[in-house]
Amino acid sequence: MPDILEQLESLRAREFRVAMATLVAARGGSPRPLGAKLFVGLRGDLLGSVSIGGCVDARVAEHGQRLLGENRSERVTVTVDDTEARELGLTCGAEFDLLIEPIELRDPDQAVDAYETATRLSRSGQTAYVVTTATTPGQRPRRVVVTDLADVPTDAFFVERIAPPDVLVIVGASDVAATLARLARILGLRVVVVDGREQYATKERFAAADEILVGMPSELVRPFLRHGTFLVLAAHDYKYELPILRDALRSPVRYVGMLSGRKRAESVRTVLREEGLSDADIARLHAPIGLDIGGREPEEIALSIAAQLIAVRENKSVARRSEDAAIPAAPLARSSA
Amino acid sequence: MTAGAPPYGSAILEHFRRPRNQRRLERPSAAHEAYNPLCGDRVRLELEIDGLVVRAAGFTANACAICTAAASILTERLTGATLEDAAGVRDAEMLAALGGEGAVPPARVTCALLPLQALRAALAAWRTQA
Repeated sequence: MPDILEQLESLRAREFRVAMATLVAARGGSPRPLGAKLFVGLRGDLLGSVSIGGCVDARVAEHGQRLLGENRSERVTVTVDDTEARELGLTCGAEFDLLIEPIELRDPDQAVDAYETATRLSRSGQTAYVVTTATTPGQRPRRVVVTDLADVPTDAFFVERIAPPDVLVIVGASDVAATLARLARILGLRVVVVDGREQYATKERFAAADEILVGMPSELVRPFLRHGTFLVLAAHDYKYELPILRDALRSPVRYVGMLSGRKRAESVRTVLREEGLSDADIARLHAPIGLDIGGREPEEIALSIAAQLIAVRENKSVARRSEDAAIPAAPLARSSA
Repeated sequence: MTAGAPPYGSAILEHFRRPRNQRRLERPSAAHEAYNPLCGDRVRLELEIDGLVVRAAGFTANACAICTAAASILTERLTGATLEDAAGVRDAEMLAALGGEGAVPPARVTCALLPLQALRAALAAWRTQA
């Protein structure tokens, strides 16, 4: 899930100008959020999507190529109204409004400037809003970037929130962590990898990570123990888990998961309870970690963790991995090297 | 070790479960973080030195039970000690304090001595500065 800055950089390498289609309204449900974008090149090359593929994106692409050729903007409505599909009961009957406009990629362009500014602000940790103001039919929409909703102009007709990405902190540079880092990056999370061992936490093993931190893990993690952080303990070693859990389970982080079998997880919970953590604190720990999809390979476990992160992000109830699929438990006092 | 026996002696378990002086000092005069690149044990030892005496010792550890217990025992040993006494703590003394012969398996001696390694490095750095 690349951000729009990454999408524009990718487009710039092969196109001078493209049509940018932005989903601005949907009736009857939409699989993609408002603001979703599809870029259409002169030769019909596509990047992104405004639906989950199929007929909607295809029609938007047609409009995009047409408007790119005509060099003008238009608000287009696409209705899923295929007669045959409707008669078979195989259509959702939804309706989508899209703002489609040509944008310049290698010359100055107000829309590109606005999205690049907003994305840079979000990457620096600040939420930005790209405001599209009322437009004259056929003419390019105008955009401004604000960081406070109170500054949104009164003639705004569409406001896009460009928020900083959620942060995933992975402690323990294991094979599971390496795959999880790649998956999480694709899912649009900012990935921070933490370990006490520099030969594990390397750029080669974690090319997808935004940040790799080596040192005392419990201290390196502390600045991230805030709202919105997802924390995954993938070291499978109590020496890192206990010092971090003592703080993390009392912090406002959104998610704490620990790679562990059920038996070892219970031992860790017992130690934390003896140290004074409340039942409510301890109940926040997802261990065994991940959704129960089966699978024992590092890649499969990483996928189950990534799926659980999405479920938590979307406020869905989550099932946990089964005992069978979990890593075999080790006695607490012997799990260190 | 017999089957079913606890893996560690009482000194190690006691100091791991209830570590003494596990804290950051406000104004340490000397400090060093030692780590074992193989197992990932990390321990930072901090000393507050007043004249020729260690007034306070503290540690932070993301480390195994043996290493954490050793750091805890060492900081108790160092508090109030003269610098000469602190510098003279031997490996054998450390291992003995952890429970004597057999309490620390040979493969784990490195873990037991990591805090002592931090102490020696901290004192060496302090002497260079002083």
